[in-house]
Amino acid sequence: MSAPARGAAVPVAPPAPGLTPLLVLRRLAVPAATASRRVLADRGGLVTSVVFFLLVSVVLSALWRAAAGPSGTVVGYTAAELTWYAFAAEAAVCTIDLRLIERIGEDISSGSVAVEMLRPLPVVAVRLAVESGRALGRLVALVVVGSGAAWLLAGPPPDALHGLLALVSLALGVVVNVAAQHVVASAAFRLRDVRATWFLYQKTVFILGGMLLPLEVLPGALRTLALWCPFMAMAYAPARLATGQGTALLLLVQAGWLVVLVAAAAFVFARGQRRLEVVGG
Amino acid sequence: MSQTLAVVRAAFTDATARPAAFWTQVGAMVANDLAMIAFWILFFHQVRSVRGWDADRVFLLFAILATAAGIVLGFLSNARRIPELVETGSLDEALSLPMSPLRYLLVRRVDTVNVGDVVFGVVLFLVTGHPTPQRAALFVGGVVVAATLLTAFLVTLGSVVFFTGRGEPGALGMHAILLLAGYPVDIFTGAAKGLLYTVVPAAFVAAVPARIVDAPSWRDVALMLLATAVFVVLARTAFGLGLRRYTSGSAWGRG
Repeated sequence: MSAPARGAAVPVAPPAPGLTPLLVLRRLAVPAATASRRVLADRGGLVTSVVFFLLVSVVLSALWRAAAGPSGTVVGYTAAELTWYAFAAEAAVCTIDLRLIERIGEDISSGSVAVEMLRPLPVVAVRLAVESGRALGRLVALVVVGSGAAWLLAGPPPDALHGLLALVSLALGVVVNVAAQHVVASAAFRLRDVRATWFLYQKTVFILGGMLLPLEVLPGALRTLALWCPFMAMAYAPARLATGQGTALLLLVQAGWLVVLVAAAAFVFARGQRRLEVVGG
Repeated sequence: MSQTLAVVRAAFTDATARPAAFWTQVGAMVANDLAMIAFWILFFHQVRSVRGWDADRVFLLFAILATAAGIVLGFLSNARRIPELVETGSLDEALSLPMSPLRYLLVRRVDTVNVGDVVFGVVLFLVTGHPTPQRAALFVGGVVVAATLLTAFLVTLGSVVFFTGRGEPGALGMHAILLLAGYPVDIFTGAAKGLLYTVVPAAFVAAVPARIVDAPSWRDVALMLLATAVFVVLARTAFGLGLRRYTSGSAWGRG
């Protein structure tokens, strides 16, 4: 097939008749589960992820333990709580492909996303399901290994109930993060190249998301800003719960951000798909 | 030597062929490094010092790390790509040239994004490192030795691919040494600290050079040179022995 001289608008498959939201969710569970199984089956990749996660967590927790000292605190957290904070925050972030934004952007700018538009399910829904499935599969390994390492370094989790809430919060944080990365990467529909943005996004999560430091460390106005941004739902919320502090309200805030960001991702992808033109056959 | 310079020139021309893209990449990396500085400012806003490390010392450490890592990952960027070059058969082009394959590979490619680290590291030293002629000379010397050690470490780990067929140790090793070098070495104790002076020599990439700039001592200089010499010998040996086992041939032959 010869390539057309100009770009051609990509046809979008109409929604299949009788597709209820519940049915969509059930269908999305299949690629999500498959992605999880694949991640867990790739032993080499999994070991690499776990070792990298352990490295980062051990270094950060060592820094905060040294800052707190054996019996002191930093912004109300003891050395043991800061250790659990570091491991939970790192697990929430390390479980997601570091360059996910770049990868989505390349799929959009190269036009390969066009093939996905022929499916009877929204592109962004399938992508969110697959990436969340991957991340949650990896998260299982990180939580198991990370909990063991944190326990060895700092003793048992500060509070069992909060520990359970932290597990739910971790899962929510991961999906919020994946959705937000799709929103950012959708800029590729207009800009074509979003390679530099993953750097900036990642660093924002590091600071405003509370991945490198508890948000209580930030000075007044910056802390308020961070608490009103979606990034806090990605690392700070699960990490704070893992320290035995915070309430279930954090889960509600995360759920709120999840709804907002999934809706935003669906909106920007739907708009982007309408203006997508692909050259070549 | 003239062959090496010709390859370096070609690599530079290639990297700067699109000036707009070049400066965008450099700017992105500077922004990236600024975020880490923001972290340390916030950290030391709450915690005045950690085991003798205050903001000034950590900025000096970060300046040395950014400059040394920028030189290695930017100007000698293939140091971290040996597994990829071996796995894809891209090593073949280096074997037919009338110069050392390792030297050719190291200078063959410039990664523009990491050039931003060099710019950032030097500016950070000039702004926060209290530069005097002596401190500047020690900074330059420390960066050169640290960059040599980092290159040798990456080549050594990358060469594992010749023997195991797996590139993960190289990638993990790079992340590990850069991560560990970015924090004050004294936050670690016992065996973990010992590892940073031996197996993963992260201490010699930033903490020891920073100590030399702040309080020069012949003992630290000798230790650093010794560690670098050991890893250079290891790198040359591992790459040389690995090359003898390299039989993958051209990527074209893989169908």
